[in-house]
Amino acid sequence: METPENSNKDNSGYESAEKIILRWDSTASEEGRERMIFGTDRQEADVYLQAVDEIQRSLSSASISDCSHNVDADNQSKVNTTIQIAMARLEDEFRNILIIHTSALEIDSLFDSSTSFSSSTPTHHDLEVDEDCISDDSGISRNNLLQLHHCESSDSSTYRTSSSIREVDLMPAEAICDLQAIAMRMIAAGYLRECIQVYGSVRKSSVDSSFRKLGIEKLSIGDVQRLEWEALEGKIRRWIRAARVCVRILFASEKKLCEQIFDCVGTDIDDACFMETVKGPAIQLFNFAEAISISRRSPEKLFKILDLYDALMEFLPDIEAVFDSKSSDSIRVQAAEILSRLAEAARGILSEFENAVLREPSRVPVPGGTIHPLTRYVMNYISLISDYKQTLIELIMSKPSTGSRYSGDPSTPDMEFTELEGKTPLALHLIWIIVVLQFNLDGKSKHYRDVSLAHLFMMNNVHYIVQKVKGSPELREMIGDDCLRKLTGKFRQAATSYQRATWVSVLYCLRDEGLHVSGSFSSGVSKTALRERFKTFNAMFEEVHRTQSMWLIPDGQLREELRISISEKLLPAYRSFLGRFRSHIESGKHPENYIKYSAEDLETAVLDFFEGYPAS
Amino acid sequence: MPATDYQASFLGRISIRRNQVIAMDGNHEQELQDLELFSKHVSERFAELLSSPDDVPFDALLSISWLRKLLDFFLCCEAEFKGILMMGNDPSQISKPPLDRLIPEFLDRSVKALDVCNAVTTGLESVRHYQKLAEIVVSALEQKPIGDGQSRRAKKALTSLMSAMNVDDKECSAAKATERSWSFSRRGVSSKDRVPEHFRSVSNQVAKNWSAAKQIQAMTNNLVPPRGADGSGLASPVYTMSVIMVFVMWALVAAIPCQERNGLLAIHFPAPKQVNWAQSIIGLHEKIGEEWKKKEKKGTAGLLDEMQKMEKLGNILMDFTDSFQFHGDITDQKAEEAAAHAAELAETCQRMEEGLLPLQMQIREVFHRIVKTRTELLNALDQVGKSSPPLL
Repeated sequence: METPENSNKDNSGYESAEKIILRWDSTASEEGRERMIFGTDRQEADVYLQAVDEIQRSLSSASISDCSHNVDADNQSKVNTTIQIAMARLEDEFRNILIIHTSALEIDSLFDSSTSFSSSTPTHHDLEVDEDCISDDSGISRNNLLQLHHCESSDSSTYRTSSSIREVDLMPAEAICDLQAIAMRMIAAGYLRECIQVYGSVRKSSVDSSFRKLGIEKLSIGDVQRLEWEALEGKIRRWIRAARVCVRILFASEKKLCEQIFDCVGTDIDDACFMETVKGPAIQLFNFAEAISISRRSPEKLFKILDLYDALMEFLPDIEAVFDSKSSDSIRVQAAEILSRLAEAARGILSEFENAVLREPSRVPVPGGTIHPLTRYVMNYISLISDYKQTLIELIMSKPSTGSRYSGDPSTPDMEFTELEGKTPLALHLIWIIVVLQFNLDGKSKHYRDVSLAHLFMMNNVHYIVQKVKGSPELREMIGDDCLRKLTGKFRQAATSYQRATWVSVLYCLRDEGLHVSGSFSSGVSKTALRERFKTFNAMFEEVHRTQSMWLIPDGQLREELRISISEKLLPAYRSFLGRFRSHIESGKHPENYIKYSAEDLETAVLDFFEGYPAS
Repeated sequence: MPATDYQASFLGRISIRRNQVIAMDGNHEQELQDLELFSKHVSERFAELLSSPDDVPFDALLSISWLRKLLDFFLCCEAEFKGILMMGNDPSQISKPPLDRLIPEFLDRSVKALDVCNAVTTGLESVRHYQKLAEIVVSALEQKPIGDGQSRRAKKALTSLMSAMNVDDKECSAAKATERSWSFSRRGVSSKDRVPEHFRSVSNQVAKNWSAAKQIQAMTNNLVPPRGADGSGLASPVYTMSVIMVFVMWALVAAIPCQERNGLLAIHFPAPKQVNWAQSIIGLHEKIGEEWKKKEKKGTAGLLDEMQKMEKLGNILMDFTDSFQFHGDITDQKAEEAAAHAAELAETCQRMEEGLLPLQMQIREVFHRIVKTRTELLNALDQVGKSSPPLL
């Protein structure tokens, strides 16, 4: 029960509070418009807040005590008006404080510090598929130079780091205090909605501005589908860097700010403010990744898609930590959906790649029987795949779709997977790719008119495959030594086939039978036959020399080995032939027409083989 | 067969086709049945959308619940369409005429539809914003008796709301969207010079040159009913589904504020006479077109029924708060009227509260479906390459 004394005190307290409020009514007084309460004079602010509290108190005490004679409808209305004036003013102050202390984040420093979070091991490097590429009817290599490369170590996204959310103080503590104080009053007076609106609009504008600085573009899905993949690769790289900053620093800091300001009034409110601020930008951010995840699949896209996948995986826990409220469900869900699509895309691309290798249709034989660009491309590609082993092993879960041993389909090779027990699906895919590559190369080799060249071609290419596998520990580990042995056997087999194809008939000239007449040793070597032999041998050898100097075995060691192997068969046979029969020729006319070469000459000539000399 | 035969009735067309083929194998029969069924379902569902508003319970055209029905309609048709597409016996059909042209066009339309979905989702955020502002108004006017303070509060919120709706609309109709920027050094904002506090504009999440109207216009490119022999097989359902897709996107954009809608009305729907759902779609198009014309005269924001109500009520309540401010006392009758209008506004807000999120989720579902079908079609196209024999 109020005593007259008390009510007087209350009244005077109320009245002076009311005066203060009215003084600052910007719709009414000039003075109210010109200055801000907060930010200039600490005392002014405190006085004002006290005034607001006073008015609030009288409002609530008025509603509690309904038997006080001081209260009637008019008074009630006046108090409400005063509150409204105060709230309008506080709203302005709130907005003003926010605006003044809103400065765009120092983006550059954020970039440096965010990348320093991750302990990067430079496992990646630029790889270029080499110069000659096949003709335009190839389904795989587009443009002249196909570059398979992925990001440099500083933004390589395959390292696994622990969650590195870093909240930045977006506002000085004093400002936050003021904002808190104002928010409390507004919410107490039932003006929560206004508070959230003001907060959201200013902060969102700031986030938008940060987005611009981070270079986050607004691309439509149509735009993304239309752009050249090379251009997109750069955008993906930039997006990954920017997204990391957004999720871990920008959004996290905004969240912290909301918590700081609205902490005292309950979590729902700071959630609401946070979502007001970041929902739109977050959706905009992820829309790009989504557009990439649904783009048309083709082999060259695999690695950037994996980079994107890795990056998202990496900061998915951060996304879940930052967007942990019910109202942000859609963002978490979208991120998960994008991840899933990226995974699907990776699987699809791998499958598509395998088909493309199988189907690769170019029929123009590579001159000189050297390494086919397809071989290079494929081996480079699977080397890169082995670099991404960590990610892909998790993603690739099923065996390659292939006919069984008895499929009977002549257009696909057979491969029995039960032989390869215990291998991961990824390894099976890689092995399958090599099988398919060989199958295709085999088909291509049949376009060579010269069957020796066909064998040489296979030897070169399978050897290259073996070298590439040996050269990469991860690849070797996945392919396995069994496979490697088989492949080695294959190219050795090809080498043998080549030798047979070329040299059997040449060496046939140096055989004994058919040269002796009447079967006795010393008498009757048919001079005619002998001359024929020499002539034939010379012609054949010259032809072989002419053509096969234009052939190429790129690998130095293999080239040497084959030459040695040829020499080992050729030279002794020739020497022996010369030894036995030269006298017969030299005793006749024009021996130089028949014995054109010494063994040393042949030895030297063999050194020309497989050098890839241009046609003279 | 002369082309005019295909202008005959739906049933007539089927019988002609049956006469053409003497021996039909069971699968072909099944396919035809599926196509018929598809067409039938489409026309039934279209008719439901168009039902007279006198029916109870019918959803007002372009209300949130009507839009949800529309999206349901899309999803059902899409599911059936996909079934027809994927059950086709001969997958290589896709690479042969006329599908070799129609499918890529369809895929292109799909991509545009995806962008429209995203733009509309952003637009719904704006609608949510209006809802929040309207809730302030409701909250202010809920208290009885309405005092000066509440009236002022309501007026402030109403001013923001109305200018937000107008600004967004202008930006949606403007040839280019200008970006707002606050001068951060600015101190002291007077309430007299109040700039709408929402400086978010719907254009914020969308690329500058992107125009919803232009996208939809582009979607109608090459959208012609299949003629002659093309009319059999998959060409017809592809056409039907395309028309549905374009119509749904068009209706969404008409209802919900999103960037750049100039010329939306001018978009012509090539509805062929011979399909049985032609009437319904023409009818819907006309109705929505009428609303749009009215809108252009009045200069209101998007056609969403709830938004129109909000605008109407907003204006009424604005008058009320004005009269409160300038005339002081108000009659009990006026107070009651205002309270009734406030209650209506509250109801509209409630419908938004209940319906906007599900609507957004449905749009997302539509997005997913379109992506899925597109991906499968792309895969199928790639597969077709596989079946050609490699050269030995």
